[in-house]
Amino acid sequence: MSADQAPTAAVAVPRWGVRPRYAIRTAAHAARTALLYAAVVSALAIFLFPYYWMVTAAFKSTGDVTAYPPVWVFTPTLENFRELIQDLGALSALKNSLIIVGISTCLAMIFGSMAAYALARFDIKGKEMIALEILMVRMLPPIVTVIPLFLLAQALGILDTYWILIAIYTLSGLPLVVWVMRVFVQEIPRSIEEAALIDGCSRMQVLFRVTLPLALPGIAATMVLTFIFAWNEYLFASLLTSSDAKTLPVVAAVTLKPRAISWGVASAAGVMMSLPVVVLVLLAQRYLVRGLTFGVIKR
Amino acid sequence: MRERFTPWILLAPSFIVLLAVGVYPLLYSLWVSLRSYFPTSPTVANKFIFLANYRAAFEDPVARHALQVTALFTLFTVGISLILGLGLALLLNQRLRGLAVARTMLLIPIMVTPIAVGITWRILYNPELGVFNYLLSLVRLPDQQWLGSTSQALPSIVIMDVWQWTPFMFLILFAGLRSLPQSPFEAASIDGASAWQIFRSVTLPMLRPVILLAILLRSVDAVRMFDQVFIMTRGGPNLATDLASVYLYRVNFKFYNIGYGAALSWGFLLLLLLTVLVFIRYTGFLRKEAEEKAV
Repeated sequence: MSADQAPTAAVAVPRWGVRPRYAIRTAAHAARTALLYAAVVSALAIFLFPYYWMVTAAFKSTGDVTAYPPVWVFTPTLENFRELIQDLGALSALKNSLIIVGISTCLAMIFGSMAAYALARFDIKGKEMIALEILMVRMLPPIVTVIPLFLLAQALGILDTYWILIAIYTLSGLPLVVWVMRVFVQEIPRSIEEAALIDGCSRMQVLFRVTLPLALPGIAATMVLTFIFAWNEYLFASLLTSSDAKTLPVVAAVTLKPRAISWGVASAAGVMMSLPVVVLVLLAQRYLVRGLTFGVIKR
Repeated sequence: MRERFTPWILLAPSFIVLLAVGVYPLLYSLWVSLRSYFPTSPTVANKFIFLANYRAAFEDPVARHALQVTALFTLFTVGISLILGLGLALLLNQRLRGLAVARTMLLIPIMVTPIAVGITWRILYNPELGVFNYLLSLVRLPDQQWLGSTSQALPSIVIMDVWQWTPFMFLILFAGLRSLPQSPFEAASIDGASAWQIFRSVTLPMLRPVILLAILLRSVDAVRMFDQVFIMTRGGPNLATDLASVYLYRVNFKFYNIGYGAALSWGFLLLLLLTVLVFIRYTGFLRKEAEEKAV
C-alpha cells in the first residue's frame, strides 16, 4: 500500500491547504510504524522467551538452574557443554545428524518436487489416490512402523548405519514436500510454462528452469521444515541406531533420563541441537524473500 | 509419445521410496493387528484372532476418551496457531527495516527439539519453581497448578503447542503471501479500498489454498503429537492429556499388547483418513486443479 512508502515529494508544494496534511501524514505514518514495531517486538518477546530461558539454563550451574526466585543474572559456566561433548559424545552425533538429515532432505526435496509437479500439472488416473497415499505415510504413528522397520533393517544388515535413517527420513519428508509444493506449483499459471514449451523446452527443462525458480518461497519453506522435522526425529533414531550412527536427539534424550535430569546439560543439548537449524534458516531466508521479485506475475 | 510417460518418470522415485520403506510396515502392522501378539508374555499364544482386536478397540472407553482429547487438542492448537500465524505473516510482510531478522528469529520455536521443548516448558510450568507462576506473582495473581490440574493440563499443553507451531503456520502463510501477484492489491488500493476490505476480499480468497494446506498439514501432525506430552504429563493427570499417541504407547510398551496396539493404530488411521477426505471434498481444497483441467 502506498502508505508504506515515504510521502511523495509532490505533496510538498507550499500551499496552505497542503502543508498541514503533509505534516499529519508523516506523523500518522510514524505512529503506524512505531505501532508495528511494538507489535513485532512483543510477538518476538513471547516467542523467544522460552528459548532464551533454555539458552541461559545451558550456561547455568546446577544451583542457578534450580534457584527460586529465578535467577536473571548469574556467572555463566561451560560445564554443561563440556559434559555434553566429553561424556556423551555429542560432536560425533552432530556429524551423523548433519550427514543423515542433509542427504535425506535433499532426496525428499528432489523426489517430492518432481512428484508434486506431476500431480499438479498432469491429468493422471487415480491422482487423488496417489496423493492421499503419500499423505497417509505421515498419518501413521511412528510407534507402529518402528517394529517392522527394525526387523527389515536387521535382515538387510543396515541397522546402525546411515542408510536406514536416510531412507526413513526421506520417506517421512516426502508427504510434506509433495503436498506443499503441489499447492505452490498450482499457483503458478500454466501460461508461463506453455510459453516455454512452445519455445522448445522439454517438460523437464520447464520444471527446472521455469517453474521451480517461481516457486522459490515454497521451496525455501519446505526445505526448512523438512530439515527441521528430520533433525528433531527421535523415536526411529533411538531404536534403529546405537553407536555408529547415533544422532543428536538421541544424545539429547540421554540427558533427560528421569532419575538424573540435569536441566543444565539438557538445555545445553537443546542449544546445540538448535544451532545448525538457525544457520540453515538464516541461509534460506533470502530465498524466501527473493521469490517476491520473481513472483510478480501480471495476470 | 514420450510426453505420456513424463508424469510417471517424475513420480517414480517417490513411489520407490514409498514401497520400500512405507508400504511394508503398513502391511506388517495390519497383519499383526489380526493376531494376539504379546511378545513378553510366554503364556499367551501368538495366533490369529481376526477382528477381535478391532471389536475390543471399538468398545474401549479409554480409546474413545483418547480420541476426544486428541480432537479437542487438535482443534484448539490448529485454530489458535492459524489465527496467530496469519496475523504474524501479515504483520511481518511490510517493507520495514529489521523485519528479515525478526522473521528468522520467529522461527526459533520450531527449531527446538520437541523433547527439549517438553523439558523447558515443564520447568516453566513448575508450580513452585517455575517462571510462569513467578511472573503471575509479580502481578499479584495466584499460583496456578498448570500441568498438575486436570482442568488446566490440556490448555497448558495447547499453549505450549501453539507456542511451538505458530511459527510453522507463519512460515507457510508468509511464503504464500509472498507468492501472491501484486496487481490485484494495486488495483484494489487504487479503487480506494480500506486495508480491512483488501484483506477480506483480496488477500483471504487468494490465500485460501495455502491456508487450507496449512490447516491440513498441521492437523495431521497435531493428532500424532507425542514427544512433549509424554515428557510433560505422561497423559495425566487422570488421563486429562491422554492423547491417542500416548495411549498407543502405553498399549504397546507398557502392556505389550502389540496386536491390539496395531488394531488401535489402524482404527485411528482410518478415522484420520476419513476426516482428511471429508475436509478435501468439503472445502474444495483441490478445486483449482480441477478448474485448470477443464480449461
